[in-house]
Amino acid sequence: MLADDDPDIIEVVSIILEDEGYEIVTASDGAEALEKIRSEDPSLVILDLLMPNVDGFAVFNALHDPAYERWSQIPVIVLTSVREEVSKRRYELETGKGMGYAAYLEKPADPDLLVETVASLLL
Amino acid sequence: MRHEIIREIALAVTAAGGAENIIRALVEATSRGMGAKGCSLHTLHDDGRQLLPRFSCGINESRLREGQILADESLRRVLKGAPLFVWDAAGDPRVTHKEALQREGIISIVFLPFGEPKQVRGIMCLFFAEAMSFDREDLQFLESIAELSGSILQSAETRERLESDADQARRDLARIRDERRHFLSFLSMVTHDLKSPLVAVEGYLKLLLRKSADCLDERMVKGIHRSIERMDGMMELISDLLELSRLEGGQVITELKSISWEEVLGAAVEMAHELASLESITVSTEIHRPLPEVFASDIRLQQLILNLVSNSVRHTARGGRIIIRARREDDAVMVSVEDNGSGVAPEHLLHVFREFYKGDPESSEGTGLGLSISKRIVDMHHGDIRLESPVPETGEGTRVSFSIPVGVTCLLEERWMLEGDSAVRFGVAAGRTGTVVDTQEVDHG
Repeated sequence: MLADDDPDIIEVVSIILEDEGYEIVTASDGAEALEKIRSEDPSLVILDLLMPNVDGFAVFNALHDPAYERWSQIPVIVLTSVREEVSKRRYELETGKGMGYAAYLEKPADPDLLVETVASLLL
Repeated sequence: MRHEIIREIALAVTAAGGAENIIRALVEATSRGMGAKGCSLHTLHDDGRQLLPRFSCGINESRLREGQILADESLRRVLKGAPLFVWDAAGDPRVTHKEALQREGIISIVFLPFGEPKQVRGIMCLFFAEAMSFDREDLQFLESIAELSGSILQSAETRERLESDADQARRDLARIRDERRHFLSFLSMVTHDLKSPLVAVEGYLKLLLRKSADCLDERMVKGIHRSIERMDGMMELISDLLELSRLEGGQVITELKSISWEEVLGAAVEMAHELASLESITVSTEIHRPLPEVFASDIRLQQLILNLVSNSVRHTARGGRIIIRARREDDAVMVSVEDNGSGVAPEHLLHVFREFYKGDPESSEGTGLGLSISKRIVDMHHGDIRLESPVPETGEGTRVSFSIPVGVTCLLEERWMLEGDSAVRFGVAAGRTGTVVDTQEVDHG
């Protein structure tokens, strides 16, 4: 599943990953992402952090919630323009917990790196 | 006996808070101590000419409470610092409003200058319902009371003024802090919105290269690569501008803590190796251990060293070398990054720390903000930074050295300012433990 509020990012990432044979479900904000995680049960989540309404940080927090226990181990690739150490610090300050993502890619990410990262997590 | 009365007065006024209450306590205590029927206080208006009723007790007649009961000439004399004693108010030509005095049953009156002899602030009147007699010593005693009153009032007023100034300053600073917060969140929003379209366009371009490079001729492929590079440069510029604004805006306050120089250097050197190896440049280190702990921002110090390394990498040919040195020097830690690259031309040396200054304005590499960001990081740690080119010992390349004081409690002053008195104590108590006062966090969009 791919969550990003920028339709162009959705388009670019979808083309790259569909070319590799992956099936993509998309969400345009955190609320939709959580809904789709429940309904579509994806094997991997690619998550933008800064989104309107419910942001990516809140999605992370929700995945720690017992209601999402089934999906607590789902690998998450963060794909964002926020720098990694800044995100980590903000999340820790706000929740007192670590983010626990599988990979962190800063935008603009290289397509090869994205494909490689997804492939390594879905082995 | 008289000294004890003074002490009574002192106790009464110290228990009272605020200049207005202190005045009341002073006049009442004096009146009581002298066995007077009532009293009043008139103080000089700011212009020094008008005498205004300030306070009275034990008197019903409004003329006595509010009006002046001395002829002008005598009034002036009291205001010059000479107490006046009227033992028979009804028969004394210096006294006015005689009917009112009679109705109130006043026989004797004492007029005391209120305030220090050189700076009389008003007149205190003590009304007696019987014929009083005061000798020279009594009058001296009354004078000393007037003087004491004046100095107590003076210090109370000074304190009030300082407190109100401090309140104002606190309000101003709270407002500035709010504005700063808004500004920083505005900045990160703008940064995010400026970068997003570039990220999207770059995404499509990379996709185009990936999927259709075969269909494009060599010059088109090169053009697309250039487009990506230019957009990366623009994104770097946006990030640097945000960085500069945050340093300027005091955002870094949140990052101060007790940190180990060795860890900072360890992490920075590791990243320096990565950066330099891409250009086949070797990085060596000369670190004189042990290095002390400092109260600083580890992220910023690492960023600082990396900025310098990345500058060196940019201006050093493949196969060159970079040396990172660190040692303790008196009460500071001195760190330098030296390369054997192309160096800085003498005419540029004076300007290198200026914003947007690039040795080669045509160059598309770098944003011209790296060194000004570095200088700000050093400034916020109360350190020094300098650049030498060519390096004196080798006659080539560039060396940038900076020193950060060991005992520095950087930006604590600002925390004190922002948080007011309580934070002064808090700051001192927190010392170098690096407790975060302001947890404002802004996304690095």
